[in-house]
Amino acid sequence: MNKTLVSFLVFVVGLAVFHNAIFPIFTPKEVGWILNRYVYFLLFVAYLLITHFMLRLKPPISMMGLFVWSLGFYFYKVVLYPPIPWTLFITYMVMWSIGTFLYVSQDPETFREFRKPIVKAIVGEYKLAQIVLLTFLPLLVGWATYQSIYPSYQEPVELRTVHPAPPATTKVHGKTYPLESTNNPFRIDEQDNYKDSFPFLDADKNEYMKYVTEGGTIYFQNCHYCHGDQLNGLGMFSHVFNPTPANFIDPGTIAMLQEAFLFWRVSKGGPGLPNESTPWSSAMPPWEEHLKTEEIWKVILFEYWYTGWHPRTFGTEGSDG
Amino acid sequence: MNFRLLKPKHMGMTMTNNNYIKRLILSFLAVALFAVPGAALAEQAPDAIKKDLLEEGKKVYFKRCVWCHGVEGGGDGPSADRLFTRPRNFIQGTFKIRTTDSGELPMEADLIKTVKNGLPGSAMPAWGEFLSNDEIVAAVNFVKTLVQDRDFNDTEDEEVTIQDFGTNPWGTKGPYHLGVPQADIDVGKEIFMKNKCFECHGGEGRGDGNPTMKDDWGFPIVAADWQQCWNFRGSRRNHYDPFNVVRTISTGLNGTPMPNFKDQINVEDRWKIAAFVNSLCPRKNIDRLTNKPVPDFLIQSVYTEGNVVGKIDDPSWASPDTDYRIVDLSEEQAENPLKHYIAMAGQITRGKRNFDPKTDNLWISSRWSAEEGAIYYLVEYHQRFMSDDPEFPDAVAIQWPAKLQDLFGAEKPYFIFGDSKKPVDIWKASFMAKDYSATAAPNEKGYQLDVSVTETVGNGFDAIADKESEGKVEVVDSIYHQGRVKVMFKRSLKTEGEFDVQIPSEQFIPVAFMQWSGRDKEHDEHMAISTWYYTILKPALPASLYYMPPIIAAIFICFQGWLVWMTKRTRKMYDEGKARRDELPK
Repeated sequence: MNKTLVSFLVFVVGLAVFHNAIFPIFTPKEVGWILNRYVYFLLFVAYLLITHFMLRLKPPISMMGLFVWSLGFYFYKVVLYPPIPWTLFITYMVMWSIGTFLYVSQDPETFREFRKPIVKAIVGEYKLAQIVLLTFLPLLVGWATYQSIYPSYQEPVELRTVHPAPPATTKVHGKTYPLESTNNPFRIDEQDNYKDSFPFLDADKNEYMKYVTEGGTIYFQNCHYCHGDQLNGLGMFSHVFNPTPANFIDPGTIAMLQEAFLFWRVSKGGPGLPNESTPWSSAMPPWEEHLKTEEIWKVILFEYWYTGWHPRTFGTEGSDG
Repeated sequence: MNFRLLKPKHMGMTMTNNNYIKRLILSFLAVALFAVPGAALAEQAPDAIKKDLLEEGKKVYFKRCVWCHGVEGGGDGPSADRLFTRPRNFIQGTFKIRTTDSGELPMEADLIKTVKNGLPGSAMPAWGEFLSNDEIVAAVNFVKTLVQDRDFNDTEDEEVTIQDFGTNPWGTKGPYHLGVPQADIDVGKEIFMKNKCFECHGGEGRGDGNPTMKDDWGFPIVAADWQQCWNFRGSRRNHYDPFNVVRTISTGLNGTPMPNFKDQINVEDRWKIAAFVNSLCPRKNIDRLTNKPVPDFLIQSVYTEGNVVGKIDDPSWASPDTDYRIVDLSEEQAENPLKHYIAMAGQITRGKRNFDPKTDNLWISSRWSAEEGAIYYLVEYHQRFMSDDPEFPDAVAIQWPAKLQDLFGAEKPYFIFGDSKKPVDIWKASFMAKDYSATAAPNEKGYQLDVSVTETVGNGFDAIADKESEGKVEVVDSIYHQGRVKVMFKRSLKTEGEFDVQIPSEQFIPVAFMQWSGRDKEHDEHMAISTWYYTILKPALPASLYYMPPIIAAIFICFQGWLVWMTKRTRKMYDEGKARRDELPK
C-alpha cells in the first residue's frame, strides 16, 4: 500500500479519533496536571511520531509541511485556551506559516521536493490539479472581495470604569461623611460569629441579627430586582440594563471595597457617578431618595453577612485581617 | 419507574398489613398495565419528609428562601407585596409544577427540579448552580414541613399518582425542538379551539383572554403568554420542549385557574396541542443565566428604494419574530427588516417606581428612504389587556439624544429622561383601543387605535417639557390585535427644531424605549424602560459590490497566467541549458 496514503490516513483518522474521543477526557471541569488540553496535544504529537517511526513511514516533505502547518492551526484554533481573538490568531498563523516554510526549505533537497508537486501543477503535468487551481482560486478571490465589500454592522464596543475613584466626602441627608474614616455604625460585632444565625428567628435574641434582618428586608424590597435573590447580579431586571448590576458574590466587588465606598455608591447611584464613568447608563438609583441613612447602612451590613465577605479596612482600628 | 412501587422506600413497620397487601396488588397491577402505554397509573403515598435533613434545611431556608416565602412559608416575606406573581404560599400544600394528578401533593423530585431550575418569568431564581444538591434536598424537605393543611407523611389519606405523559412522538431535540410536522400542529390548533383554551390564553395564545382571574388566595393572576415561552414557569430552562406543555395540560397548575385536561384529551392529542403551543413561540437565542432572549443591541434600519410603505400589513414589513440565524427565512422575508428584541424592565430608579411592569420586551423593525428623507420604526409588544380609562391611555415612546452632534465618543445622556447637560428627544404615542372590551371574545380583526403623538425634551426627571417647535413625528399606522400592539412611527431625517434629533445614515445613534400600561395606571416615570440601544441607517448596497469582485478575480487570473508562463519559461531555459539548476549537496 502507498506509504504516503497510509501516512495521510494516520494523520486524518488519528486526528478525528483523538479530537472526538480523547479530547473530551482531557478537558474535565476540574483541570489537573495530567488531564489538561496541552498534555492531550503533546500526546497527539507523540502518537504521530511513534506511528510514523513504527510503520517506517516517510511521507514527502510537502505532506510533512502540511502536517506541521495543520498541527499549528489545530493548536491555536482548538487546543489553546482561552480562545484567542481572530486578529491574534491570524498573527500567530502567519508566524507559524513562516516557520513551516523554513522547515520545508531547510535544505535544497527538501525544498526542491517540496516545490515539485507545485511546479507540476502549475505547468500542467498534473492536469486536473492545474484546472482546479486556475478556476477555483479566482472564484475564491472574487468571493472574498464580495464578502469584504458587503456592508455589515456590529454594535460598537464600549469601555467603562468599573470602580470609579470615590470623592473625599459625600453628603447624605444633610450630613457630610468623610469616606476614609466612616465606618458602618451597625457593625457592632465580628460578623463571623453570626454565620449560622437565623434572620427573623434570631432577630429578637441579638442585636446584630436584628440589623441583618432589617437590612435583608430592605434588600428584598428594593435591590433584588437587579442584584438578584442570590446577590449575584442576576435579578429579574438585570438583563435589561447596561452596565449589568454588580455581582456581590464575585471577589472583585464588595469584597475589595470599604463599606464607606458602598455607602457613597448606594446613596448617589448612577446619577452620582463621576464624569469618568460615562456612558451614563447605570440604572442604580440614588438611594438617598428612597431610603434613610441607617437603612442604607443596614443593607450594606446584610450584603456582607449574606455573602460572607469582609469589608476592606484601612489603618489599624477595626482591622480584622 | 414503576418498579419503585414494589418497594416504597418509606414503607415502615407502622403500615398495616391490609394496606400493605392493597398496595402490593396495586403495584402488581401497575406493572402489568405498563405494557399498555398510557394506562400505567398507580396511586402511592407521597414522599415522606426526611427528618434527618430538617436541621440543615432550616438553615438553608432561613438564609435563602425566607425573604420571599416568609417565616412560616405563607408566601409573605418582605419582598412579596412588590412582586407580581407573588411568592408561593406553602401552607396549603398547593404546588404548581408537578408530575402528579391535579390537586395532589408533588413528588419530592418535582420540588427539587423547581428549586434547581427556578421559575422563569418570576423572581424565583435557579438555585441549582448556587447551592449544592444536598442543600437543595434539605431545603425542600424543610419546605414540606411548612405545609400545614396537608401532610406528606400521611400514608392513609394522601395519595399521589405519577402521570404517564407518553414520549415525544416526533423525537425532536432541544434547544429549539424544530421539525414537528405542520399537520400535527394544525391538529393541535383544532384541539385548542375545541377545548376553548382561548378563553384564557387568547386567540393567538398571548394570554389576553381573561382579565378577571384570581388564584386560590384571591390575588390577580394572568394566563401564560405562549408566544414568550421563556417565561413559562415550568419550563425547567428547556423553554421549547413540548413536554413542559404536555405536563401542564395533564396535571393542571394547582392554586391557579389552569385545570387539568387528563380525561378530556388523550395523551397523543395533548402532545399535538403542545406542538401547536410551541410553534407559536419565536426561536431566539436564550441566555441561560437570565432565561430571556439575548437583546439585539443594534437596530438595523433597512434602506429602501423609493418610498417606504407605511402600512403595518404591507408584505415589506412581514418579518417573522424567529431569529434568522436559527431558522432559515423564506425568500420573500429575507429582504425584510429584522425584528429586534428589546428587553424592558420597570423604572425603579427615581420617583414612583414600577416593580411589576406588564411588558418585559418590545420588538422593533425599521426602514428608511433617502429619496423620501424619512425613517420608520415599527414598535410591537405584547399587552394582555388595554386600558379603558381615557385618563390613563397606553403609550410607547422612543427616546433619542436631542443633541446628537454634541456628544463625544460613547457619551450619552442619562438613559431615563436625559440630564441637565445632555437633553433627550422623546417621541411618545399615546393610544386607546376603539370599541374595546377586555372581556370580549377574541377579535380576529383587531382593534383600531386612537393615537396622539407628543414630542418632549427631557433634561432630567423633573425637567420634561413640551417642544416649542415639533419635529412632526407621525404615527402612520397602528393596531391592537390578539394581545399585541403595533405602532409605526415616521419622521423626516432632517428637521428644523432645536431639540429634534437629526438622524444621519451610517452612524451609530443611541436610542432607548419607554412603555406605559394604562390598565395599571402607569404614567410619567411610572413605566417600563430599556437601556440605550444603537440604531444605524444601513446604506444602499454599494455599486462596487457588483463590479469589484470580477475585476479583482480578473487581475488574479492575469497573475496566475504570468506565473504559469514564468514557470514554463524557466523550465525551458533549464532544458536548453541557458540557466543552471541549483546544485544539490553531494
